[in-house]
Amino acid sequence: MRQFLLVLESELKEYFSTKGFMIWTIIIAVLGAGLLCLPRFIDLSGFTGVQVVAHHDEQEAHKKDKEERERLYLLDEAHITDMEVLEAYFPENEWVIIADEKALRQAVESQEAEAGFVIKAPDTYTYYVYNKKMNDEIGENFEDAMKVFYRRDYCQDHELSYEVMEQVYEAELTVDEQILNKDTRANYFYCYIFVILVYMMIIMYGQMIAVSITSEKSNRAIEVLVTSTTPNSLLFGKVIAGAIGGLLQFGLVIGAILMSYRLNRGVWGSSLDVFLQIPPEVLLVFAFFGLGGYLFYAFLYGAVGALSSKTEDISKTSGGVMMLITIVYIFSLTQLEQVDGMIIKILSFLPVSSYSTMFARIAMGTVSTWEIIVSFVILLVSIIGTGFIGAKIYRMGTLRYGNPIKFTTAIKGIRKMED
Amino acid sequence: MKLEIKGLYKSFEEKEVLHGVSFEVESGKALGLLGRNGAGKTTTIRILMDVFRANKGEICLDGKPFKSEKVKIGYLPEERGLYPKKKVLDQMIFFARLRGMKKKEAEESAHKWLRRLQIEEYAPKKLETLSKGNQQKVQLATTLVCNPDIIILDEPFSGLDPVNAQILKDVVNEQIEDNKLVIFSSHQMSYVEEFCEDIAIINQGKVVLSGNLKEIKKQYGENRLIISAENYSLEHLNKKLEQELQTLIQVEEQKKDFLILKLHQDCTKKQVFEALGKTDIDVDVFGRYEPSLNDIFIAKVGE
Repeated sequence: MRQFLLVLESELKEYFSTKGFMIWTIIIAVLGAGLLCLPRFIDLSGFTGVQVVAHHDEQEAHKKDKEERERLYLLDEAHITDMEVLEAYFPENEWVIIADEKALRQAVESQEAEAGFVIKAPDTYTYYVYNKKMNDEIGENFEDAMKVFYRRDYCQDHELSYEVMEQVYEAELTVDEQILNKDTRANYFYCYIFVILVYMMIIMYGQMIAVSITSEKSNRAIEVLVTSTTPNSLLFGKVIAGAIGGLLQFGLVIGAILMSYRLNRGVWGSSLDVFLQIPPEVLLVFAFFGLGGYLFYAFLYGAVGALSSKTEDISKTSGGVMMLITIVYIFSLTQLEQVDGMIIKILSFLPVSSYSTMFARIAMGTVSTWEIIVSFVILLVSIIGTGFIGAKIYRMGTLRYGNPIKFTTAIKGIRKMED
Repeated sequence: MKLEIKGLYKSFEEKEVLHGVSFEVESGKALGLLGRNGAGKTTTIRILMDVFRANKGEICLDGKPFKSEKVKIGYLPEERGLYPKKKVLDQMIFFARLRGMKKKEAEESAHKWLRRLQIEEYAPKKLETLSKGNQQKVQLATTLVCNPDIIILDEPFSGLDPVNAQILKDVVNEQIEDNKLVIFSSHQMSYVEEFCEDIAIINQGKVVLSGNLKEIKKQYGENRLIISAENYSLEHLNKKLEQELQTLIQVEEQKKDFLILKLHQDCTKKQVFEALGKTDIDVDVFGRYEPSLNDIFIAKVGE
């Protein structure tokens, strides 16, 4: 135990005395927290819906030079358009009425016009656009405007009140929503983010642990280490130190972001709640399962680190672990929308995937307490098992130099050692 | 303290690399563990350090089964290894504490050894910034920092200049005088001759020669004489002796400065001396042959 604590202390000292580790942690935490303060200084009302910067000169905004406005060309063969309506839908654009479709097309092609519309009939029009954007607001807005023209025409033709029809059409309903278990939509985004975070943690810190162990082989410090302490103390010390280092780094960054959001929630108009307003119990579950999954893979990375003699060979020995992590990651993300499905239920009991899938089930689905306990016990036992097998591989692999040792060869080697 | 290695066998995969290695060493003495590359010296040491387990055989300390974790061992591996990016003092303290020392005690001991090896000014520096010789001295200081009872030195002199080698020699001698048990593995026979009372030569996983070095030398020099002459070159002297003294001796080997003669059974040094007096050979050097360790080593494992 004493030797384990000494290795742990030394490894932690190494992490925290590394300038890069500390500087990046602080930079990312400050940057994350700082970004969330932005609406206090910059007008992000378009996104947040909250007008924070009060010194907004409306006249200045409306004085936008006509020349600078993007032009939209219109040929109305059906004579149904109302320019007031169009200008209400397109306040930032200038409308140019044109009589020739060919000229309209040429204007769009030469990008003199942002887009062009040829209305053939009240319910038929042609939309000309040079490059259609992912979020094509021009096309959508024009369609809405056309529907208004259509409804207005219809009301006139049938002697109906357009205003009454609009009221019926846009009826305001009072909904009293009572969610009796989980709001999947509300929890989806932070679950998504947490699955990505654990994946990043495992890959980043797992790789760091593997590199640290392989470096000890390549600089031969292992020769003195293995004769000074036990493989268990070495591997457990390194992995737990990596876990503490990783948790502190991620904890500091996430803590700073969540704290900053809590202070700035008002100016964001709660628009980031789906990402950053995380219930404490979900954070707790994430801490347990996320840390468990991280430790499980950290021990595997520790073992594969001992199978390489050179740091450049780590990718060869860690390829299998990396593939497993990535498959689990993809499965977890694709199954997030069906958290009560059979696949995710099975995955939530496997130690290779429970860190993300059980967490997702708890946050978004229906899961009973016994399932959580069983899954966590399986994960815990697997961590301890992987730790001890990892230590055996570590012991077997540490003093074998040369070509990387295959994982299967290592397992066979352990069996022989046991015999 | 008496450490006994008894009949160690070890196989890797299907290949047996140790075939019953046995030797013993006592406190206040140094054992020279010799052998060609790949003979099994490092494997034996690693079994002793409990890095590998022997397939068969045992190691005893004062008659009881040896447990490496119960005894303080200082090990200087042939493949030097410390952390290049860590400060010298920090890693010495770390290794001393791993081997059971308290922090303050470890710090004091680290300073003591850095001072003794004349490298104290490098204590706050990263290892990688030191010269190879000084890194070697740090490695030795790290080996001795825990005040070990058993010291295992695997090629400790490689990479050292004569001045540093002298410092290291003094340190090793002090440790032997301090009643430490020293196992000294090296290819540099002159150092082994200087420190070691006993030797064990391993060849292809077997101890082919072991015991007290003086007695081994005496045994190897038995019935052997050396001779050189003022008036004959060694080649001519060789022919002359084979012609005129063939009933008494046989020329066994020609060295750079003398010939080695082997006495026939029941012949004596005196008879040879008298016979020489009757020839025209103007004897320059004549006496009992005492082989160097190098000669013994080559004779045992060179074929």
